[in-house]
Amino acid sequence: MVKGIIAKSLRDALELRKDSTFVPYIGGTDLMVEADENKSYLFLHQVPEMKNIAEDEEFIRFGAACTFTEIIKNPLSPMILKQACRQIGAPAVRNMGSIGGNIGNGSAKADSALICMVTDSKLRLASADSERIVPIKDFYLGRKKLNLNPDELIIEILMPKHGLENYYHEKVGARKALAISRVSFAGIMDIKNGVIQNNATAFGAVSDVIIRLDTIDNMLIGKTIEEAKKLRGDYIQAIGDAIVPTRGRVGIEYRKDVCINLLKSFLEVSGI
Amino acid sequence: MKAISKSVPKRDHAAKISGSAVYVGDHPTDDLLFGRMLRSTKARARVLGVKLPVLPEGYFFIDKNDVPGDNEVHIILDDNPVFVEEIAEHIGDVIGVLAGTDEREVNILLKQIEVDYEELEPVFDPRKSDVAFFDFGYEKGDAEKAFAEADKIYEEDFETGLQEHMYLETNGIIAEFKDGKMYVRGSLQCPYFVHRAVMKATGLSSENVSVTQDVIGGAFGGKEDFPSILGCQVAVAAYKTKKPVRVVFDRHEDIEGTSKRHPSFCNYKAAVKDGQVTALEIDVLYDAGAYATMSMVVLQRGIIGCGGVYNVPNLKVRGQARKTNTVPNGAFRGFGGPQVFFAIEMLMTHIAKDLQMDSVDFKLKHVAKHNDLTSTSGRFHFPVPIPAMVKDITEASGYYSKKEAYKNQSGRFRRGIGLAAVYHGAGFTGNGERDLIKAVVQLRKDRDDNVEILTAITEMGQGVNTAFIKIVAQELGLPPERVILVPPDTARVPDSGPTVASRSVMTVGELLRRAAIRLKAEWRDGEEQLIEEHYKHPEYMIPFEMPAFRGDAYPTYSWAVNAVEVEIDTYTGFIDILGAWGSFDAGTPIDENIVIGQMEGGFLQSIGYAMMEKMTADKGYIRNNNFSDYIIPTAVDVPNMQVKLHVEDFPLGPYGAKGAGELPHVGGAPAVAEAIQNALGVNLHKIPFLAEDVMDVLRRKGGI
Repeated sequence: MVKGIIAKSLRDALELRKDSTFVPYIGGTDLMVEADENKSYLFLHQVPEMKNIAEDEEFIRFGAACTFTEIIKNPLSPMILKQACRQIGAPAVRNMGSIGGNIGNGSAKADSALICMVTDSKLRLASADSERIVPIKDFYLGRKKLNLNPDELIIEILMPKHGLENYYHEKVGARKALAISRVSFAGIMDIKNGVIQNNATAFGAVSDVIIRLDTIDNMLIGKTIEEAKKLRGDYIQAIGDAIVPTRGRVGIEYRKDVCINLLKSFLEVSGI
Repeated sequence: MKAISKSVPKRDHAAKISGSAVYVGDHPTDDLLFGRMLRSTKARARVLGVKLPVLPEGYFFIDKNDVPGDNEVHIILDDNPVFVEEIAEHIGDVIGVLAGTDEREVNILLKQIEVDYEELEPVFDPRKSDVAFFDFGYEKGDAEKAFAEADKIYEEDFETGLQEHMYLETNGIIAEFKDGKMYVRGSLQCPYFVHRAVMKATGLSSENVSVTQDVIGGAFGGKEDFPSILGCQVAVAAYKTKKPVRVVFDRHEDIEGTSKRHPSFCNYKAAVKDGQVTALEIDVLYDAGAYATMSMVVLQRGIIGCGGVYNVPNLKVRGQARKTNTVPNGAFRGFGGPQVFFAIEMLMTHIAKDLQMDSVDFKLKHVAKHNDLTSTSGRFHFPVPIPAMVKDITEASGYYSKKEAYKNQSGRFRRGIGLAAVYHGAGFTGNGERDLIKAVVQLRKDRDDNVEILTAITEMGQGVNTAFIKIVAQELGLPPERVILVPPDTARVPDSGPTVASRSVMTVGELLRRAAIRLKAEWRDGEEQLIEEHYKHPEYMIPFEMPAFRGDAYPTYSWAVNAVEVEIDTYTGFIDILGAWGSFDAGTPIDENIVIGQMEGGFLQSIGYAMMEKMTADKGYIRNNNFSDYIIPTAVDVPNMQVKLHVEDFPLGPYGAKGAGELPHVGGAPAVAEAIQNALGVNLHKIPFLAEDVMDVLRRKGGI
């Protein structure tokens, strides 16, 4: 029989999480499909501390249980995140599905996680006894492998506030709605006084985890547009070499081509 | 528009919307056994033995040894066994049923069954198969001479893929054997098909078998032949266990284990003289799957239609349905037509391009006219409205100006527009209605002067009940609520034939109209009356000779012209449907909304068939067995769809109605394919054509 407990506070939730047989469950839009009768669930959708969207000097802080609809409607949410969330599933899925669940599910196709990766967001993880903050890039260890202890929960997502204005995002699905990403791409280019302050890219649905090649992206940081143009070929080549799509339902060649095409398009609209 | 066409709420609407409709999975499950299939995990293997776990009381295993009648499912060749006799012919072939009181326990026990196989060499490619279940051919004129005299000869190969029905409600049957009688009910299109199949498998006489239709959640042909197979399996289980047995598939099992549209491989040769196609030599090959089931009829319709809407004086046609070790393919809306209409429509565009003509103008030069000979040397006895419909659709879609504008494009997004003209033969092929079906309908009036419609026709969402009620109410001058229509039960209704072939309204509806006219003439207030009406074959029809394929293949034709405009993203290969325009002639609509709804739904299904729906079998195992992996279009994918009805009355259909249901699933695919090829500047020979195929083309061309 399915067993479930509804946590009403964060303390409650973390205490219950000590029993690691409980699977954290927020909207259930992925878990319901599995419909595993032998599992027990810890329902987190009513934990008030996980439902906030707030800002401080540096970050916009999203409670992990915030639904995509709540994120889309909140004026604090950056446009790049809103755009990605709008393309998830269908209204019913967006009303139930959460950003924390999307990240915690560990899929490289996760549409909101892609944005967390490209923005170098941080995750606040907590257990009953401790708390830590982990850059999302260090959270994904491999295919469905997370840097998350059995007694921990993702509590909050800290998304940097600044420098997200010049963004690029495309999701390629098999249809226009109710689509799982076949390839997804996000890029951020922050240029001040003709000098690139930040260049970040992320590629989803290509490998075991979302690809974030920050050391290669850094090639362009500190460069002027003209300098970047000269590096363009080497940069694309380096990214292309580093992207090795895993085998999947969608062809390897296809996904690689699309990644490079979208990267080129991102550079083009950024004037590079 | 005639008065009868004015739309009314569908009779089945309220129950379905409110949730009160009872589907096969909704019946109470107390005291019944849940059945699960033991399926072959090998594509071809001799079953040497089945080792069962210890079955608790109330649990049963049913297999070939329990079949009281013949271990054959009556469809056409009756080659699909009820349960594997000796050799399992495809992954999913049913070896037996495990039935028991607790569904979960049945699942656990099922996993403990061990099957001992001797593996045999399977065949997955019909081109490499030695077994042709059917091999037909026919000729018209003198193709050989025309080819000898041709200015130019074109030869091309075309391929189409599997298509899954994706009805929302999966297949399901309940059977109960009580007091010497077998009661079967479930989600099925053709109660009498199941009736006859169950008789043969159980050895019971006709009066001891009763088959009832439950509310159906969509079918599209997927519940035409398949329920005969499932019906026999569940009936045999009920016979052995002496308890009601229910088998309702989950989505995975439904996709893996039930029929689909036949993949096709066609070779077309065209002789062109003075800019005119003078002859076609066509070789059609359909992948039948492991058993013949419905393939004979699907193939017949395919080879009759393989010349399209064109008057080509010389034809030489061969068609085969060959065996492969895959799930048997069966009936699907369009029934053998979509494959060949794709091929002929693409071929015509390719020849036009080579002759530097616009494809639509080239097609119009060849369209058959009223009284012309058909492919099988029958006649188009009624007007062919294609030219007028082409005019409507080229205007509505802006076809010519768009085609011109899209000739020289640059940049990331490229557009294209395509147009297809097609027909669907209305009703059964050849003399089927006269010789095989012999449809009967009844109207029964009770003492309160309410009138019940008694036919074997099933409502599956297509709106036939509403149409029948409108026809009878109109002729009797009764308010529709005085006309009763409940799902058929073979114990109560005469055999008016199966709910297939776009025949229900045209053929059975006309019988009801005539019955209603008679009832009105003989009406006696307050008395019980029964009126029975029998099929009469149209006298004008040229008898259809088999196996020569000569004569009138259909009493009449429904026509469609479809245009589709696409925009292709050359960075991602994504194909965006910018617009879809359709003109459909299904004769007089008995209900305008219902027919428009049918046209829109079928058109969308046809578009999906061309550019979205891809089912791949990996050595006979279907991997994309759910809604997230088998992608069908949603309304969001084709938001701009404009459908209009062109009405050519059919004098023998009720108020001029002819076949509607399948018509929209023929022309959408070639229209999409032509739009894609125009956008990419290449010739297309294969559907489905997806984003990955777009990128393959671009890679080969080194970008465009």
